[in-house]
Amino acid sequence: MAVDKRAARLGALALVSVILLGAIGARLWFLQTVQRDALQNQVLTSQRRTQMLPAERGRIFDAQGRILADNRRTITVTVDRAVIRRSSNRTTLFTRLSGILGVPVEEMERRWESGRYSQYLPLPIAEDVAEDTVLRIESRSEDYPGVHGDEDWARVYPYAPLASHVIGYMGLILKEQEAQYKALGYQNDDTVGQFGIEKSMESVLHGTPGQVVYEVDTANRVVREVSRIDPVPGKDVQLTIDLKMQQYTERLLETQLEAKRQTTDIKAMAKNPRVKDPADGQFKPKFTNEHWYVDDVGDQYLPYPAPAGSMVIQNYRTGQIVAMASYPTFDNRWFTINLTGAKFKQLFPNDKNPDKSILVNRAIQGQYNMGSTFKPFVAYAAMLNGVITKDTVYTDVGSYVLNIDKSLCNEGVRCEYFNAISSGTGKPAEYGPVRVEDALAVSSDAFFYRIGELMHEADPSRNLLGNTVRLFGFGADTGIDLPYEFNGRIPTSEVKKELIASGALKKTESPNLLLGDNVQLAIGQGLLAATPMQLANAYSTLANGGFLLRPHIVKAIWQPGVPDGFPGYGDFSKATLVTSFDAPEVKQQLELPSSIANPIVRGLTRVIRGPGTVYKGYNHDTTGFTVFANYPYDSLNIAGKTGTAQGAMSKPWFDSSVFAGFSLNAPDKPYTVVSYLEKAGYGAKASAPAVKCVFEALAGQNVLDEVQMSDPLDPTSLVPAPSNTLADSTCLNGKYDNLIRD
Amino acid sequence: MAFSVLNRKPDSGLGNVRSSPGDPSRNVDWILLLGQSILVVIGCLTVYSASRTKGVDQPYEFLFAQRQVVFVIIGAVAMAFVMSLDYGWLRERAKFFYGLTIVSLVLVFLLAKVSNGAQLSFDLGPINLQPAEFAKVTVLLALAAFLSEDSSDSVSYERFIGALWLGGIPTVLIILQPDLGSASVLVALIMGLLLVAGAKAKYIAMITLLALTTVGAAVLSGLVNSYQTTRIRAWLNPNSTDENLRSFIFQGKNALRATATGGLTGKGWLTAPITNTKGDIPVQWADFPFSAIGEQFGLLGCAVLIGLFGIVLFRIWRIAHLSRDLLGTYICAGVFTMLLWQVFQNVAMTLGLMPITGLPMPFISYGGSGIVTYFVLFGLVQSVHMRRMR
Repeated sequence: MAVDKRAARLGALALVSVILLGAIGARLWFLQTVQRDALQNQVLTSQRRTQMLPAERGRIFDAQGRILADNRRTITVTVDRAVIRRSSNRTTLFTRLSGILGVPVEEMERRWESGRYSQYLPLPIAEDVAEDTVLRIESRSEDYPGVHGDEDWARVYPYAPLASHVIGYMGLILKEQEAQYKALGYQNDDTVGQFGIEKSMESVLHGTPGQVVYEVDTANRVVREVSRIDPVPGKDVQLTIDLKMQQYTERLLETQLEAKRQTTDIKAMAKNPRVKDPADGQFKPKFTNEHWYVDDVGDQYLPYPAPAGSMVIQNYRTGQIVAMASYPTFDNRWFTINLTGAKFKQLFPNDKNPDKSILVNRAIQGQYNMGSTFKPFVAYAAMLNGVITKDTVYTDVGSYVLNIDKSLCNEGVRCEYFNAISSGTGKPAEYGPVRVEDALAVSSDAFFYRIGELMHEADPSRNLLGNTVRLFGFGADTGIDLPYEFNGRIPTSEVKKELIASGALKKTESPNLLLGDNVQLAIGQGLLAATPMQLANAYSTLANGGFLLRPHIVKAIWQPGVPDGFPGYGDFSKATLVTSFDAPEVKQQLELPSSIANPIVRGLTRVIRGPGTVYKGYNHDTTGFTVFANYPYDSLNIAGKTGTAQGAMSKPWFDSSVFAGFSLNAPDKPYTVVSYLEKAGYGAKASAPAVKCVFEALAGQNVLDEVQMSDPLDPTSLVPAPSNTLADSTCLNGKYDNLIRD
Repeated sequence: MAFSVLNRKPDSGLGNVRSSPGDPSRNVDWILLLGQSILVVIGCLTVYSASRTKGVDQPYEFLFAQRQVVFVIIGAVAMAFVMSLDYGWLRERAKFFYGLTIVSLVLVFLLAKVSNGAQLSFDLGPINLQPAEFAKVTVLLALAAFLSEDSSDSVSYERFIGALWLGGIPTVLIILQPDLGSASVLVALIMGLLLVAGAKAKYIAMITLLALTTVGAAVLSGLVNSYQTTRIRAWLNPNSTDENLRSFIFQGKNALRATATGGLTGKGWLTAPITNTKGDIPVQWADFPFSAIGEQFGLLGCAVLIGLFGIVLFRIWRIAHLSRDLLGTYICAGVFTMLLWQVFQNVAMTLGLMPITGLPMPFISYGGSGIVTYFVLFGLVQSVHMRRMR
């Protein structure tokens, strides 16, 4: 009995063994037959190495073919992720690599931890490594397992810092941009254009990266190439910019601003006005400041700070931009080297003071009052809407009193508006009976104040003036192919409400569009905000007979691989065109009959050549007469308008100088030139001479320097761009007496 | 008697008919011995194939295979010695050996405390002695001796509890080492013996429950080294990206892949991609020799191996029936259970059915203590067979 039961139990044991072995057998069979292929593939994938082949970025050329942005081959050292998964292996390898690459171990660890780099690709640990270093590493693969040098590209700007705001620069994809670029197929550690043409033409310049898959053995040596998709290089972009003109403009801008800052000539400085002290009836200086220059009669003067400015040269027949300069400027090669955070802050300090902003293209991002340069468009609005005709006469007696309830005047509403002070009389200038043409020529504020009031009353919604000037493109994007354009601001009640809500306007300000607002708008002050580009485009519309064009900087797109011509140039004759943007793009055609155009253009011509007006025995020159005294009209006839944008707190040394001019009857040189110099004085004092120089250059009188390719960037430099001024600045010299603050 | 083998009369020509059929020397189970020998040879070759290209500081390709052969020789000597003994003689010595085992386990435990790490062995220069391995032999003997004192059909409650204590103490000591793999072998041993001895089903259910709850409690209370729980977690979460689990997941996945990609007939001796190159299964020759066989010889190779183990198990099982006394039966049942469980666990580990425990495959895996232990165990089984007629 005992034996039988024991035998039975032994039998049970045997049964257990059969079950267990059977289970193993079944699993084995399953794995080695059914699942074999799937698992084989897994083995193979883990034995494959994918390498991205970055595409060569499209090049950027100027109109003549100068190579503004190019690429150079570099090597990025990467490490296969499988090799460094274990932290002990990783530390060893990183320490070994740190010495030979000169990259700290913490930096490599940071990249490993960072989510920026794709988990499916080898980890890049050092960019732009010297070729012999890479050879040394790759020849010792036992010491550096899984470490390879992959081909990559780095951006080069041969003519930097010229046109740096236009060309722009590249940078790593920012956190907030990640989703957008991922959707387009970018890797998180790619660099993309972040400013200028590099940004606005990113999709054209980028190209498509390729990929090569290698089969590797377990020691990570390449066995064979499994597949390869070649990269598609980006298309090349040709700009409308003429680099010779650009160089001249940038130098001119910097020279003029510096001259204003450093002048010791009292006549070129801003005068501290005197106001009547109600206590004792004496005229005392209005502002206090420690560092006055004082003249013989005890008046105080201060040099203009002139910290910044911009200039635009546009072809008004096509809308193409010939030159666009913004100061302060920078060398965009700073963005092609690995800047430390500290160095970046040193070069581009995050200053709250907008005067010091460097990485801003003031030509399209500046938010400025336009001053009297806005008047031609106000004149158009008045004539178009029948508020005045070209023959309407108004007698300018130096000031304008609003036609409103006088009781309001004492309650803080400004009722009387004055013309600018005449330097001859020391009182607001009186121009006498003027028509619109004369008013433009001498810049009669009173005439335009009146227009402001008339237009305000003509329309119950009060938007008539604002809406009409919008026809010239104010208050909206010009559509230029550069990023971060400011669309401008025409005052409306919505705008006022927003400004009150944001605190820019006092809470006590009325949210409705008041008479005072329209009056200010009529002379280009107040809540008006526009960019120099918008101003240029508006003058171009006037110059070309009423066609509002889209300004553009891109002239053409070419197939990748535009061959090189002369050193520093591309050769378009051997390239394949993709798209040309030469044809002008008309956004809108304005009603501009000669009855409206002629008085305006004649007035603007008189600004340059005279005559002014005579009243009460006093001859008032036009605002640009003195400045353009020796301008060669016969070579290139021009018309233009001065403007002074009132500065903050009405401090005279914060007046910004504006001038807009365009050529007349010159079908081969149809150019609009605008200069906006912040805090540099009256329109005639700073911007007018600058524009004069440009037209002289366009006429052929001023010789332009050849453009040379730049010396290499000095990484130890402490300034964003070296000083770049005109060798010969005689065109800026002249008599600037008796100028009017218009 | 014990050394009768040495007193054998010289051969008189006719197949030595002078000695009786019951003479132990004529009753070696040749099939078992042959099966074991083939396994051993396969083991040496497998260790060679898996280790020849891999050892990082390995001076030359035969290093591990060579050592394996040395272990085999030592094992063979030990086995011959054990075979020549009557296992009944060991019954009296069982207590002594058991006590020695407990002492050495405690010693290892204390050494672990001192050196603040997992301590599984005494490092005596070129040899690592693993007490957990020898515990298999001594606990087997002690338990078998204990249970066979009672020749009744079923196990009384006191004896049951006594067996639990007897087996439990070394098991717990081994768990604390920590070596869950070897501990599980002892647990299997206890359960197998109790089953064969006739413990009531409900008792068995009770200890199974007890075992599971103790394991659970030990894991949760943190008594068990996190190293071991890591292995269980790695097995349960094969797609985890946890840094700690990575190496186990990696090992397990590669062992599985290596075995599976062998397909039907394998990738060929010495030409399999993972096994025969600087592959990705660390210490493959010790922990995952089955994957080496699987990749090189495929399903057929694995079947042959398992078949061999099946044959060997069958022979042991048969000897259990033929044993002259209870002690012999229990010894054989114990060896059967331990061998079965260890083979199953190692293969299951390679195939991803169980967490990685580091338990070697008998006769195939590289490892001196394991080899010698199983030689000794088989020696005991042979001894039972040889003396079944006495």
